[in-house]
Amino acid sequence: MIYNLAQLVAKSASLFPEKDAFRCLDDSITYKELDTRTNQLAAYLIGAGLQKGDRVAIYMNRCLETCIAVHGILKAGGAFVAINPFSPLERTMTIMKDCDIAFLLSTPSQMRKIKAIAKAANFLNTIIGVSEIEGTNTITWEDISSLPLDDYNPPEILGKDLSSILYTSGSTGIPKGIMHTHYSSLSLAKLEVKLHDSTHEDRIGNFAPLHFDQSLFGYFSGPLVGATTVIFPDAYVRLPKSLSALVAKEQITLWFSVPLILTQVLLNGDIDDHDFSSLRWVRFGGEVFPVKQLRELMQKWPHAKFINSYGPSELFRCTYYILEEPPETDDPIPLGTVWGNTEYKILDENDREVTKGIPGELVVRTDTLMIGYWNNQQLTEQSFYKEHVASGYDYVFYRTGDLVVENENNEIMFLGRIDRQIKLRGYRVELDEIEATLLKHEGIEEAAVIVVEKADENKELEAVVRLSKGAEVSTRDLMLFCKKIIPSYAVPEHMTIIEDFPRTGTGKIDRNEILKLLETKVV
Amino acid sequence: MKEKIIAYLKEEISSEPLDDIDINEDLLGSGIVDSLGMMRLVVFLEKEFQKKIGPEDMTVENFKTVQSISDYLTQ
Repeated sequence: MIYNLAQLVAKSASLFPEKDAFRCLDDSITYKELDTRTNQLAAYLIGAGLQKGDRVAIYMNRCLETCIAVHGILKAGGAFVAINPFSPLERTMTIMKDCDIAFLLSTPSQMRKIKAIAKAANFLNTIIGVSEIEGTNTITWEDISSLPLDDYNPPEILGKDLSSILYTSGSTGIPKGIMHTHYSSLSLAKLEVKLHDSTHEDRIGNFAPLHFDQSLFGYFSGPLVGATTVIFPDAYVRLPKSLSALVAKEQITLWFSVPLILTQVLLNGDIDDHDFSSLRWVRFGGEVFPVKQLRELMQKWPHAKFINSYGPSELFRCTYYILEEPPETDDPIPLGTVWGNTEYKILDENDREVTKGIPGELVVRTDTLMIGYWNNQQLTEQSFYKEHVASGYDYVFYRTGDLVVENENNEIMFLGRIDRQIKLRGYRVELDEIEATLLKHEGIEEAAVIVVEKADENKELEAVVRLSKGAEVSTRDLMLFCKKIIPSYAVPEHMTIIEDFPRTGTGKIDRNEILKLLETKVV
Repeated sequence: MKEKIIAYLKEEISSEPLDDIDINEDLLGSGIVDSLGMMRLVVFLEKEFQKKIGPEDMTVENFKTVQSISDYLTQ
């Protein structure tokens, strides 16, 4: 019986030992090799003092070793914390301190930043995957792959054990750590297998980096059925012409990504010059797919079935909507209906269920729900809606913060957020966090960050700030300041310094008015 | 040419101060250039080296490293 993630690779290694488990360009690893190499990593970690439940950081760009890192940590009983290697050092340090990281896994391509981390993080026990850093223990991937397995004694792992912490931006400016268990992550993998009828013959296209939970599709549902997961390196994901050639060459059957990658392939990927006949399913999620481009893509790939898949990282995914035919109108695509072992309610601001057709907040109860935010009981409680069932027993729903309405076909339609969180190229961005960051600058008195809709349905962030008296700060200074603290996708593309803000009757910054000014380029 | 490209990457594209960039370093995989940085880099290259860079040339072979950019521009 499969009840934890650490069993997945071993199971497929016994059924399909010589089959490629993961591929990345010219690198590949079979299930048998992956089973051995993850055992070696687990043995090393346990030998170095890792205790069950300890958090281990993965600080890697998209490469083959990521699969050894994830499954090796899990076999050792650890929980993996995937950190975006392209985030500022300060954010990396905040996360590592927040969850007491002692072991960090990386690769030589991140050496430049690893040196800076080693210098700043004296609490690290060992950095794995690199060599020769003054004052810090290191061991290379190669050295780990030659370790003996005589004394390997893995711990017993239960479904309720912590498997990962995923950090996402918090509105106060401090990242929050979403805790998932072996049970919630394995439930996700099982539901994804069911959704696509995946088998060992499938080839999964993995376009998301590890710190983005779409990647779990490849890392877990692949090994659950013995499929091959193809990791697409960073350069390919950003250069659509090369990406689409590689997707065709690798004969991908299952695709899951943000809409942006698909529209890039459609617009700049020479889509007519390649053979995509292997594609069975194209799943997209993370943000809204512009209907015009979706229709065009579906017409190019009539043999593939398309699915919109929705859910916040706190519960991975919860709804899906299958498009049988290219959409006829430009009406928004529904989020759809909930998948297995999942139920939902739509609540008004007093937590009462709305009557059908009235908008409200979506709350969801599911097997894939997180257990809470790391080290933040208060935030965890706030994020749950509990329905008392019996003495000492509640149904726990997650408050998605998404405003939805149910249509006449019982499909959930997305209307917007109830707070100021937005999606930008698939990333969750808290406008409050960016404003809080700007206000940390001593030269800034007030700040407002606004989303401006550009042509071709692109969104851009613009910051408008009022400086302190006598402060001499340029917009370039402010840009550099932000880049040191928040990830580059959340740094506003434009900054404007103004004398004073348009204000509402009560003296608050009038964001609607600023938006009008920005759109007409008055400021 | 390579020096000019490296200088531009260091001063205008990278979000963190860099000592130096190796001409064979994976610019996207190491995080020196992100997708927005890529667009700015292309605008700079077109202007600086008087070459029109069409979407058909935006490939990994042409843009992976400083060396490959330079090879592409001089071909």
